[in-house]
Amino acid sequence: MKGTGERAADLCTGLLAFAVLAVLYAPVIISALFSVVDIRNGHIEWASFSLSRYVTLWDNPTIVTALANTAIVAVVAVVLAMGLAVLLALYAQWDGAVGKKLLELVIYLPFLLPPIVTGLSLLVAASELGIARGLSTVIIGHTVFVLAVAYRLVLTRLEAMPASLVEASSDLGATRLQTFRYVLLPHLASAIVTGAVLALTLSFDETLITVFLAGDMTTLPLRLWAMMRVGFTPEINALVTLVLVISLALAAVVAWRMAPEGRSAEE
Amino acid sequence: MKQALGKWIIFAGVAVIPFALVLAPIASFLVLSFYRVENNAIIRDFSLANYANIFGNPTYWGTFLGTLWLCLEVMLLAIAIGYPVAWFVWRRQGRARYFFLLLTVLPLFMSYIVKLYTLRSILGINGLLNQALLGLNLIEKPSLLFLFNQRAVLLTMTVIYLPFAILPIFLALERIPTNLLHASSDLGATARVTFRRVVLPLSLPGTIAGALFVFVLALGDFVTPQMVGGTSGFTFGRVVWSQFGLAYNWPFGAAMAGLLLATALSVIALAGYVASLRRV
Repeated sequence: MKGTGERAADLCTGLLAFAVLAVLYAPVIISALFSVVDIRNGHIEWASFSLSRYVTLWDNPTIVTALANTAIVAVVAVVLAMGLAVLLALYAQWDGAVGKKLLELVIYLPFLLPPIVTGLSLLVAASELGIARGLSTVIIGHTVFVLAVAYRLVLTRLEAMPASLVEASSDLGATRLQTFRYVLLPHLASAIVTGAVLALTLSFDETLITVFLAGDMTTLPLRLWAMMRVGFTPEINALVTLVLVISLALAAVVAWRMAPEGRSAEE
Repeated sequence: MKQALGKWIIFAGVAVIPFALVLAPIASFLVLSFYRVENNAIIRDFSLANYANIFGNPTYWGTFLGTLWLCLEVMLLAIAIGYPVAWFVWRRQGRARYFFLLLTVLPLFMSYIVKLYTLRSILGINGLLNQALLGLNLIEKPSLLFLFNQRAVLLTMTVIYLPFAILPIFLALERIPTNLLHASSDLGATARVTFRRVVLPLSLPGTIAGALFVFVLALGDFVTPQMVGGTSGFTFGRVVWSQFGLAYNWPFGAAMAGLLLATALSVIALAGYVASLRRV
């Protein structure tokens, strides 16, 4: 039934889509390939295939430190952001809430503004308060950055929850704390987990805010950036491949949890 | 009256952390932008000298305008490529649609630094682009034209920020009720007319909002220009960054960041307004 024009449009946009996807996925493919084989004079030497770089990688103490820092920052920032997000979302859904629009604007700002503004504003504030740059300032920066995503996911779930559940709970004599513990929290649990994984992915990769707040401390993206500037070793490709696989796996988990099919199976 | 006061006290209790971590830092750097630096020490005299310097010095002013122009180009290129791709994804049915959507969104989560690193190696003198052009006999020797210039910054930013354009366009297309499309074709419109009279106008607000989002992202980027732009890839974000690093003039950097903030806020406000215009 489709006209020829329509079919031609499908074909053209389809070709463009495949070209775009090829470019977008080139980083994974190229670094994965270069991490296992040598390139000499622009030719791939298949005979040199080896996974040794994935082993020698761990002999580099700066990489291990950077990875550990990244993990600490991500976990602490995500826990802080999720706690704050639940509190803020519960407030936003409360009937007596005032200033909700203003509060939401402040929550979303670090996500909407260029990271350079968020980064340097926290840097200036920390310096005015005499706080030295390091792990704690990076954690604050990441908390502020991922809060928007965490808040949005928790609030969406809270809005979808029938008010009758909370009313029923209090009618049956539950205290507010009991209602929170036995009704709200189980209902929010999956949104909290999804939000946490998404926030972990964002924190894992955050570069432009971190660079202002890190001081002498280093995270994985900062370490990679520094390594890129001095030239590169084959180990970098192995590291980069690992980084990409981890972030894509985390993102795929989020996508799977947020998928329409996934949700219906869950409820 | 008393009750209203109580509500605001609760608001203050809840809002104190976000306000302290977001608004107070922004206020502190804006205050800093009115100070000046002498002998590596910040002199706390209130003056507009930093702003006068930005607007009075053609180098800074020119870099600012040049950056706005670059961001505009990134935005237009991202829409020109992103719209057809989003349209293609939207035209798929069922699982295929979700699968393609996932494929276009996942690169958002691939490490930013890694993307820069591989794009730099693709654009470089021994990179894939040169190898491909050589292989096709389109050029005779590897070209230096693709790296360490403004064009490289433009291409790299477009690739990095493209998924941010595709997603909002797709969401705008998906919001169009199918019965409007059926009605249009029942009334005898060809696919082309339906696209021009129904699909395009209804997806335009979401598309513009997505475009403006790409603009803001490109505006603040200071690592891409440095990594692929070399010495000729000087953008406003990079100038701001250098004031907080090598140049060590925080108040002046803060003033330039103030200009960046004002620009970003205007663009975000515009995007919010355009998005509110959507008709379905």
